[in-house]
Amino acid sequence: MSAPSVTLHDPDVYERGVPHEFFAELRRAPRLYWQPAGPPGRGFWAVTRYDDVVAVSRDAETFSSYRGTAMLSDFDDDVVELQRAMMVNMDPPNHTRLRNLVNRGFTPRMVGKLEQSIRDICHDLVDEVAERGDADFVHEIAAQLPLAVIAELMGVPDSDREKLYDWSNRMIGFDDPEFQVDGSDGAVAASEIFAYANEFAERRRAEPRDDIVTKLVQPDANGDVLDALEFNMFFVLLIVAGNETTRNAAAGGMLTLLEHPEQWRRLREDRSLVPSAVEEILRWVSPVMDIRRTATRDTVVGGQQIHEGDKLVLFYPSANRDEAVFDQPDVFEIARDPNPHITFGGGGPHFCLGSHLARLELRMLFDALADRVPDIELAGPVRRLRSNFINGIKEMPVRLR
Amino acid sequence: MNIIVDYDACEANGLCEGFAPDIFQLDDEDRLHVLAQPDEHSADRVRQAVLACPKVALSLAESPD
Repeated sequence: MSAPSVTLHDPDVYERGVPHEFFAELRRAPRLYWQPAGPPGRGFWAVTRYDDVVAVSRDAETFSSYRGTAMLSDFDDDVVELQRAMMVNMDPPNHTRLRNLVNRGFTPRMVGKLEQSIRDICHDLVDEVAERGDADFVHEIAAQLPLAVIAELMGVPDSDREKLYDWSNRMIGFDDPEFQVDGSDGAVAASEIFAYANEFAERRRAEPRDDIVTKLVQPDANGDVLDALEFNMFFVLLIVAGNETTRNAAAGGMLTLLEHPEQWRRLREDRSLVPSAVEEILRWVSPVMDIRRTATRDTVVGGQQIHEGDKLVLFYPSANRDEAVFDQPDVFEIARDPNPHITFGGGGPHFCLGSHLARLELRMLFDALADRVPDIELAGPVRRLRSNFINGIKEMPVRLR
Repeated sequence: MNIIVDYDACEANGLCEGFAPDIFQLDDEDRLHVLAQPDEHSADRVRQAVLACPKVALSLAESPD
């Protein structure tokens, strides 16, 4: 039996759903699958097995994020040049320097200090929506949580939150016509974020506060500091990477629980399952579906000869359902143990900076939902994002009681 | 067997501490300390900790005899 072949870069494919059957077939193949070229870009090797994704992730010397960026889609040279100012599209040692500057704010110890304020944010969000009874889970809960947390973290005023929401939609939704006025709108959004970030950093330089922005615009112990472009790029990265990922893990997680009512009941009755349920949601949803690398020399991946300059795309939803690693990978099991999913990346320099923050947000959210709205149900059709990058949900009407 | 820490790569994710709290410890400023070199009781847990480090900041060197 074979699953129908799909074009792995086609955003229409993912608007219908992640092609899990096709991925399962690719994992069984003796070599890597070659996805021929087509809009929006060059052909590439599809890396779908867990061990291969981990091996490529951990070897930044052989697999560059800089050469062709970390994005599946190919862009014009001037856009690529701009994107290279963002950490995800860098290699060591440039990456190492920036990463060490920003990492200070995201360790488990630092993130742990936010626990009470994130708990409060979650309870307020859920309570407010519960009073009304009907809501779009995506816009009113899933999207608001990371926005509120980033605003809290960076010291952005509440009045600017909707602006952040709009920018992040337009930056990430470049394949979805609903979020874009035209093809260049993502670039316009980026320049708007830049202007905002600039002004914001200026204010913190003039009036330091006890927040991350102040820390980021001041020199570290070695006298090193982010320059203006680096700061702006980090701000863009934070808005995109900190928003869409958590939003879609939250929305996708809620949808999955509603589709598995017996698991949702278990979670409500035994709250000690929240941490493992969050890990299973992360494995199941894999909000970031793919990351691209470019080979810097001839090498072999998963038995496949790779040549210098070849493009490789790592598919996390596939690695996270690899039969070689996960027992019954196609079963959603909130108590799964062990659960070594690689939703935050396969390790190495680019391992998700925000993993501890994301986990904390999701734990607090599902705990609040289980507390306040145990009888949540779907109230209309769920609409998915048209994107070959983010496993996203645009709209999910729910009824809360 | 000796534990080698790449302090430039370490980001205080704390997974090693989870596997072997008797060997790895993060202090109040997120600096990693190796409290002891692994012995026969901790060797397996230390190997797991090394593999689990998401930043590949830990490695093991066989001790010279």
